[in-house]
Amino acid sequence: MVKTLAEILAGKGQDINFQYGGKAPAEVVDREIKKEPFPRVKKLKEMYMNCLSSATTEFPYWYTRKYQELDGEIPVVRRAAALKEAFAHSTPVIWPGELLVGSKAFYYRGSFPMPWLSEGYFMAKEDELYQSALAKGSASADELSEFGTGGGNVTKSFGKVTSIAGKFGMRAEEVPALVKLAKAWVGKSVDDLGHKYEQMVPEYDTKEKVMRSLICMFDSGYTLPQGREVVNYYFPLQYGFDGLLKLAKERKAEVAGNADGDGVSGMDRLYFYEAVILTLEGIQLWIRNYAKEARRLAQLINDPERLEELGKIAEIMDWISANQPRTFREALQLTYLIHIAVLNEDAISGLSPGRLGQVLYPWFEQDIEAGRITESEVLELLECHRMKFTCIDCFASTGVVGGVLSGNTFNNLALGGLTRDGKSAANRLEFLIIEAGMTNETTQPTLSMLYDEKLPEEFLLKAIECNKTGTGYPAWMNNQNAIAFLLRQYGPEGMTIEEARSVAIGGCLETSPCAWHALTLNGKKYWITGGAGQPTSVGVHFIANPKVLELVLTNGYDHRIREQVLPPHNKELESYEELLETFKEYYLLVVDCLAKTNNIQHDVWRKNNMSVFNSLLKPDCLTKGQHIGNLGYRYNATFNIETCGTINQVNSLVALKKLVYEDQKYSLVEMKEAILNNFGFKSALEIGSFSLATQERKSDGEQFAEIHSDCLKAPKYGNDDFFADSILKEYEEWLCVICKDFESLYAKPMYPCQISVSTHGPQGAATLASADGRLTGTTYADGSMSAYPGTDKNGPYALFNSATVWDHTQSQNSQMNLKLHPNSVKGLEGSKKLLELTRAYLRQGGYHIQYNIVDSKMLKNAQETPGLHRDLMVRVAGFTQYWVEIGKPIQDEVIARTEYEGI
Amino acid sequence: MSEDLRHDDCQNFIPIDVAKGICNYTQEIVLIDHQVCSKFAQLAKCKICSYFKKADDKLIGLCTGINDGYWTYGDLKAVTCESFSRKKVPTRSAKKVRSMSPTE
Repeated sequence: MVKTLAEILAGKGQDINFQYGGKAPAEVVDREIKKEPFPRVKKLKEMYMNCLSSATTEFPYWYTRKYQELDGEIPVVRRAAALKEAFAHSTPVIWPGELLVGSKAFYYRGSFPMPWLSEGYFMAKEDELYQSALAKGSASADELSEFGTGGGNVTKSFGKVTSIAGKFGMRAEEVPALVKLAKAWVGKSVDDLGHKYEQMVPEYDTKEKVMRSLICMFDSGYTLPQGREVVNYYFPLQYGFDGLLKLAKERKAEVAGNADGDGVSGMDRLYFYEAVILTLEGIQLWIRNYAKEARRLAQLINDPERLEELGKIAEIMDWISANQPRTFREALQLTYLIHIAVLNEDAISGLSPGRLGQVLYPWFEQDIEAGRITESEVLELLECHRMKFTCIDCFASTGVVGGVLSGNTFNNLALGGLTRDGKSAANRLEFLIIEAGMTNETTQPTLSMLYDEKLPEEFLLKAIECNKTGTGYPAWMNNQNAIAFLLRQYGPEGMTIEEARSVAIGGCLETSPCAWHALTLNGKKYWITGGAGQPTSVGVHFIANPKVLELVLTNGYDHRIREQVLPPHNKELESYEELLETFKEYYLLVVDCLAKTNNIQHDVWRKNNMSVFNSLLKPDCLTKGQHIGNLGYRYNATFNIETCGTINQVNSLVALKKLVYEDQKYSLVEMKEAILNNFGFKSALEIGSFSLATQERKSDGEQFAEIHSDCLKAPKYGNDDFFADSILKEYEEWLCVICKDFESLYAKPMYPCQISVSTHGPQGAATLASADGRLTGTTYADGSMSAYPGTDKNGPYALFNSATVWDHTQSQNSQMNLKLHPNSVKGLEGSKKLLELTRAYLRQGGYHIQYNIVDSKMLKNAQETPGLHRDLMVRVAGFTQYWVEIGKPIQDEVIARTEYEGI
Repeated sequence: MSEDLRHDDCQNFIPIDVAKGICNYTQEIVLIDHQVCSKFAQLAKCKICSYFKKADDKLIGLCTGINDGYWTYGDLKAVTCESFSRKKVPTRSAKKVRSMSPTE
């Protein structure tokens, strides 16, 4: 009879214990706190739950048509004119019951491809463009990435619906147009042009092998070229679109024909302002089309209540298409439309609303004081806002949307933090935002608490209460760490401590530079924050650290794809020091080829596909007359190097050091043989399960039992063990320094970004067994500071001690996930304990911690009966997602995480 | 050009996704590919525009209504198109419209 690893180890008395601090009760324990949304929101939510991710060619059709018509025009003007055409022709749809309106496309969960970025991946398989895409290294991520088959994912074609990129449905009637649009961009897209020029980098051949090997998860410049940043709503909120148009027209006249001392880009200002004008005009038409649609619908219905609502919608849309909003509802509606407009300009994940509760506070405060709105009405609007954000889909390839994002779009709303003068920034509206996150549990926007010692206890306990709904938000970020990181990274660009306090989180947990703006509403001045920097998590996307170590052991040869990926080092690796040095050499080689080639992709992007709308929103583009590509933003040192699998890499180094070099129980040759034979186990793919404990040994696999057992018993990170933790410390101190040696296309130093998102699934699938006892194809540990499932045996405080052996302010972030049984934090006492646990980690210097408060048995049940768990949400790694829309590898990994029964 | 009418050809249809939407008359969910009812009112799309010419079997044709013309596809919605001009073909379409309740 085939035995799983867990059963084998139990037979030896060597349990892999996935519970700590007690034993969970036999019955499934539900989450403690459950609330209900307003009736209208409940209906919208039901519609969402039964809604498919749907794509259309409408926006790309109008964009492409105008773009081709303007052949020969100045690129930024050509792009703006194409955007205007697309916005102006987008069909407006208002769904029954909606108070906030507007959407990416005319489907509730609609999106569209952007073939000007990349045209090949969404083609039908028989199409020659798709075949061409498959031949490139970047296709490896698609092959190893999985979507959940439930929820709204259209993973297979049906009827007259065609599945595209494994997630999106498109009407069969539109597919010929999609193919025609894609062909219009062959050789012209950022992907194709970038590919042409990146081949001129001498290290290109290595880069392509690195991509095929999945050492790197995906390219940067044409996949999600913007995002992981904080949007800035200030200028439209202060001046209205008419005010911005007036300003742009005045500036255009001032700069026309004048270089003003800048012989390189001074003249570019004229074209930028012209582009701003065109884009704003397109967005105004887009908003006004919703007003027209509201009036059209009003003619068709008899319900007086809805009639009044539609009239109000029409009035609001007309007003905010031109002017500063007058009310909280208008301001909320406008910020949402700005958000969608930015998302329609480019393929973006992780566009964060930032500290929205503080941005909108002026209207909230004045409306409440004047009796124009009640808190209950605000709550209903915030619930509607959550529905609109949850509908946001990002159209990209399977590898990116499935393998990296798990279908999530990471619109992160930050709470708390400090004011410009260093006081608590928490306000009453933020309480209501948290409450809406509880009454209307949805994936977006996810919430992040910028934890600072100055925040009031009541506010923090409200956030803990929200955590106990099991939604996974808010995540907890260390505000002081974030400020310290920003000052270090952006100090050379002029950031002050005062400005650093405006920080918010872009994407799931990317510390992002922001700025303060003085907003005046009815004569009263408020300081609000907004994004002021370029996208982050651009540059080098997710290096699979354990895979690099694997190639050190195999002399650069990848046994999965049977290819010499990195040049042979031909070293005997006779000492641990030599092993570590070779790991570093390989790592630098990998980063170097990726940084150079991705710089070229982004350079093509900024030349032909630069942002106009996002640019005009952020300081100081409108002042300088320069878009993002011409360094118009205030902060530009945002490119980074992302890593994945840190803890498996560290644990593997620990095991090699201990078993091979110090105890000398095994030779390196014996260790390599065991790894190549997967310690005698079948592959994860073969058995269709991706967590360690469920792996099955081959009938003839006994010969590796002892070495595997020793690898599993070797010291592990997460137990306050100096031997293991010192290796983490040494690695982190090295990583944080070497990243600065790599330069972005904007000639700025890079920095590490240590999150996994979902990449620990596909990158684990591409990695052989490792010396820490992990088996072939199983997922890595999530995040960067989470323990590998079942290996943290000394409780959370020991884990915290391990995680904080290095200075987290040297990195953009770090990521720690904990899974808690609902009973462990039950009642008010439980809430207080959870807050103390959070504080303990952050006070020690941890950057981030987030919680899954869920009974693992519920997740197992949901895996067996997904149809009964459509609305079950879990925290993966920086984001909350519907369980049924997550691929099985990540589901297995979340189930396997150590469950804390007590804290 | 196909003469089959679908729910997403109707002005009263509010699309939810690629398979279904809401009938604005009944507020009920209807499938796109189910036959339309007597309340059907043709939505502006390129395929019923008088500037839509030379359509092939995939309903890819030529839009002659804007500037120098450009290719377009029959199912492109034209509710926001400044040049849309409805073709005069009411009788032929009406034949395909069966009398049935709005929910079908």
